[in-house]
Amino acid sequence: MRIPAGFRRVFGLRGQVAQDVAAEIEFHLEMRIQDLIEEEGLAPAAARAEALRRFGDVGDVRQRCEAIGVRREKETRRSELLAEVRQDVGYAVRQMVRAPFFTAIVILTLALGIGATTAIFSLVDAVVLRPLPYPAPERLVRLWETNPQSDHFSSSEPNYLDWRKENRTLAEMAAFKAVTLSLVGSQEGDGEPVRLSGAAVTASLFPLLGARAAVGRTFSAAEDRPGGETQVAVLGNGLWRRRFGADPRVVGRVLSLEGKRYTVIGVLPASFAFSPETEVWIPLAPNPGNERDDKWLDVMGRLKPGVSLAAARADLDGIARRLAERYPESNRDWGARMIPFQEWLVRPQARQMVLVLFSAVGLLLLLGCANISNLLLARATTRGRELGLRAALGAGRARLIRQLLTESVLLAGTGAAAGLAVAQVALRLLRALGPQYVPRLEEVSLDGRVLAFTLVLSLATGILFGIAPALQASRTDLHALLRQGGRGDAAGAGGRGGRRLRDALVIAELALAMMLLIGAGLMIGSFLRLQNVDKGFDPDGVVVVKLQVPENEYSEERMRAFFAEVSERIGNLPGVVSVGATNADPFGLFEPRINYTVDGQAPQRQSDFLSADWRSVTPGFFRALGIPLRKGRLFSAEDRDGAEKVVVINETMARSLWPGEDPIGKKILWTGLASKPRTVIGVVGDIRDMQLDGETRQVIFRPYAQMTWPWMTLMIKTAGTTPGLSNLGNLSVAIRREIHAVDRDLPVPDLVPLRQSLAAPLAAPRFGMLLLGVFAAVALVLAATGVYGIMMFAVTQQTREIGVRLALGAQPWSVVRMILSRGLLLTLAGVALGWAGAFGLTRFLASLLYGTAPTDSLIFGAVALLLAAVAVTATWLPARRAAAIDPRLAFSAD
Amino acid sequence: MSTMKMDLLQGTLDVLVLKALTWGPQHGYAVGRWIERTTEAVLKIEEGALYPALHRLERKGLIAAEWGISENNRRAKFYQLTEVGRRELQAQTVTWQSYAQAIAKVLQAAV
Repeated sequence: MRIPAGFRRVFGLRGQVAQDVAAEIEFHLEMRIQDLIEEEGLAPAAARAEALRRFGDVGDVRQRCEAIGVRREKETRRSELLAEVRQDVGYAVRQMVRAPFFTAIVILTLALGIGATTAIFSLVDAVVLRPLPYPAPERLVRLWETNPQSDHFSSSEPNYLDWRKENRTLAEMAAFKAVTLSLVGSQEGDGEPVRLSGAAVTASLFPLLGARAAVGRTFSAAEDRPGGETQVAVLGNGLWRRRFGADPRVVGRVLSLEGKRYTVIGVLPASFAFSPETEVWIPLAPNPGNERDDKWLDVMGRLKPGVSLAAARADLDGIARRLAERYPESNRDWGARMIPFQEWLVRPQARQMVLVLFSAVGLLLLLGCANISNLLLARATTRGRELGLRAALGAGRARLIRQLLTESVLLAGTGAAAGLAVAQVALRLLRALGPQYVPRLEEVSLDGRVLAFTLVLSLATGILFGIAPALQASRTDLHALLRQGGRGDAAGAGGRGGRRLRDALVIAELALAMMLLIGAGLMIGSFLRLQNVDKGFDPDGVVVVKLQVPENEYSEERMRAFFAEVSERIGNLPGVVSVGATNADPFGLFEPRINYTVDGQAPQRQSDFLSADWRSVTPGFFRALGIPLRKGRLFSAEDRDGAEKVVVINETMARSLWPGEDPIGKKILWTGLASKPRTVIGVVGDIRDMQLDGETRQVIFRPYAQMTWPWMTLMIKTAGTTPGLSNLGNLSVAIRREIHAVDRDLPVPDLVPLRQSLAAPLAAPRFGMLLLGVFAAVALVLAATGVYGIMMFAVTQQTREIGVRLALGAQPWSVVRMILSRGLLLTLAGVALGWAGAFGLTRFLASLLYGTAPTDSLIFGAVALLLAAVAVTATWLPARRAAAIDPRLAFSAD
Repeated sequence: MSTMKMDLLQGTLDVLVLKALTWGPQHGYAVGRWIERTTEAVLKIEEGALYPALHRLERKGLIAAEWGISENNRRAKFYQLTEVGRRELQAQTVTWQSYAQAIAKVLQAAV
C-alpha cells in the first residue's frame, strides 16, 4: 500500500519510519516461523517462540532501526530541498536572463531603493543608534548652570569645584573650555605661526572619557592646580602627525603658545573623538578664588554605576541650593541642569531630521516594491502557459510559490548588491552635503552592521514584492488554461482577483508618492521662507576676517589702538567702502548674552534681571553692514574709554522696554558687581545674525573702546557685490599686508565672503530639503510609470473587447473616456489615501519646519493637483492607444 | 576502513551483508539465511542484529532499499547493492584478505 503524501505529512516521518521497521521485522518473523514449521516440523506456537528467541530483543532492534531511519529520512529531505533550491535558483537565473529588460528595470529600481535606504540607515546608525565612542557612554552627562532666564549657562570655577567636591552621585567630573591659541615654533623649521583650536581642560577629563595618551601622558592633578606646573600641553593626533611628523620625541619639547612656553607631555590617540577640531590641550587649573559669577566653564560628568539620572539631578539640585544659601550674592536663583551626553551631542532636531529621512526613504522603497509587484503580476499573465505546464508536470502550489519567491529574492539580492554601490556613492554625497549639520557624520560608513541591515532588507523586500504575485500566479487553473488553448493568461493573474490586486497596488503607489511629495513640499516651502527671512543687514560685497590678538602681550590700550589702526588702514585701501568689527561673528558659535536691568528699577534677585544678546563693535560696524539707524546716533570716536558709558540698542529692545517713549537718554545697568549705568544713545534696526528662526531677541551694542575684546571679526564692505575669487585673493594680500604692518607676528586667516557664513544656518534645512526633494521626485516618476504600466496593461488585455465595441459602432472618445475614468478613479483613491496619510504623518515634520504649518493647505492642494495631473497624463497615452485599436484586430487576435 | 578494524563484529557483519547482496536484490530474511548457510553457522549472530546493520548501510548509501513483493507474495523490503557499496565491498575484501594472511603468518611463525 502506498501511503499518500498528505497522510505522511500529517503523521510525520517518525510514524512512517516506525511503521516500515515494524513491517520489516514482522515479515522476518513470519518467514522464520514458516521455515521452522516446514523444515523442522515445529508446531505454530513453538515455532513463533523459537523465531522470537533467534531474533533477539525485538524492541531494541526496532528502536535502533527507527533511530537510523529517522536520521536517514532527515538527511534525504535536506538534500532534496537543497537540490530543489539549486534547481529554483538555476531556473530563476534563466528567467532573469530571458527577460533582460524587465530584469534590468527591477534591479535598477531595487538598487536605487535599497541603496538609498542603506545610506540613510547608516546615517541613522551613526546618529541615533550607535553608542558614543567612549566606555559606558550612557553614564556620561553634561551639566549647566541655570537661572530663571536661561537653562544653559556655563559654570564658574568655584561652583564647578564645589559641585565636584560635594556630589555623591558622580564618579568623576571635568570642565573644559575651547580656546584658540597661536602656536609659534621654538625651533628652526617649525613653520609659520598658526592659530590652533585648543581646549583648556581639567586633568579629570581624559580619564572621564576613558582616553589614554598614545605617547607620553595626560595631565596630572598637580598640573591642574593654580600655581602648579601648568605650562604643559597635550597634542592632538592630527597636529602631531601634520606638524611634528608623528615623532614620539616631541614629548619634552617646548612650544610657544600664545606667547607662553609650554612643555609637550603627551599625544592623544587618533581614536580620541571628543571635539575633533581641537588640536592642542592645556590644563585648565580651576581657581577656587575666582569670581563665582564669572561663568565660562563647560562641565561634564560620569554617573557612578547604578546611579540614575534622576538621583544625580536631585543631588546636584541640593548642592546648588546649598551654594545659593552659602553665597547668596552670586548664587541666589542659580540652579544646575544635567542631560545625557547623547542628547547634548545629537540635538533633538538633528535626530528628528534623520528619522524623518529614514521614514521617507522607507516609503520610497515600499513604493518601489509596489511597482515591481505590479510588473511581476503583469509578467505572470504572460507566463501562465509556463506555470501551467509546471503545475501539469506535478509541481504543487507550494512548490510554485517557492519557485516564484526564489526568483524575487534573487532579484532583490542582485538589486541589493548593486544597491551597495549606490549607497557608497550616496554616502559620499551625504558627507559632502551636511558635514556640520549632521553630528558624527564622519563616523558614517558601510560597516558590518549596515551590511547586515542591507541583507535583511533585501530578503524582506524580495518577499514583500514577490508574495502577492506569487500567490496570484500560482493559482493557475489548469482547466481554464486548456480551454483557452493556452492563450497565455493564467486565470489567477489575469482574472478579476489579479486586476483588483493591481489596482490596489497602484493606489498604494499614488498614496505613497503623495505623502512623500507633501513632505518635500513642506520642507521646500519652509526652506524658501527661511532663506528669504529679512536679516536686517546687507551682506553683499562684505568679506570677513577673524583676528585674535594674544591677551598676554596686548594691553586693553594696545587692543584699542590695534583695531583702530587696522580698520583705518584697510578702510583706505582702494575698493573698500567701510570697515567695522564685532566680537560675535554672524552665525558663529559665540553668542554672548548679558543680564541687565533698567536704571531706577533696582532688582532684588536674579530673576528680576532681563536678558539680552550683546556685541562689542567698532564705530564702522553699522555702516559696513548697512544697518539702519532709527533714532539717536551711532558710536563715534568720542565714545572712548573713560567717557560716558554708552550703548546702542535694537528696535525690539526699545519697543519692549519703553513702548511709546523715547529710549534715547535712558539708562540700563548690568547684573552683578556695582556697575555704572549705561546711556542709550541710539536705536538701530533689528538684525538676524545669530539664528534665522525664533523670536527676534534684544541686542545691546557696546563701543569697542569701552569693551575691549581679544578676538574680533572684521567686516569689510567692498565696492560692488561680493568680489570674485581672484579679486578676493588680491584683497586678501593687501589686507594681510596692512595688518602685518601693525603687528608682524599676528596670524591672519583667509578672507571669507559674508554670504558664505550666512549659508551656515541654511545648511541643515537645505540638507533635509534636498534629500526629501530627491526622494519625492523619484516617487513621482515611479508612481507615474506605475499608473502608465497598469493602464497600458489593461488596454492590451482588453484589446479584443475594445475592438468589439468599436466594431459595433462605439465612438473612439467613449473608449478614451472609459480608460480615463478608470485612471481617474485610481488617482482619486490614491490622492485621497495619500492626503489622509500625510495629514497623519506630517506632524513629525513640525519641529523641522519654519513658518509653515505641517498641514499647509496650499502645499497639500498643490501636491494633489500635481500628482493628479501626472497620473492623468500617464493614463492619457494608453487611452489614446485604446481609441486607435483597429476593430478588425478583435477578430484576428489570437 | 578504520572503523571496521576497531569494531570487528560490526565490521564483519557489514561485509557479509554486502557480500550477500552481490547475488542480486534480497530482503532481510534472505540475507540472514544466506549468511547462516555460507558461514555454516560458525558466526553465531542474533538474527535481529542484522537489521540495524542493513539500515546503517542504507543510510550510508552502500545499499538501497525498496518495498516489493516476496516469493510468497508478501510485502517485503528489498535491499540492493549500490555502486558505492560494490566498491566498498571490493576495498573491504582486500583489507580482509591481507588481514587474514597477516594473522595466519603470525600464527605459523609462532609454532
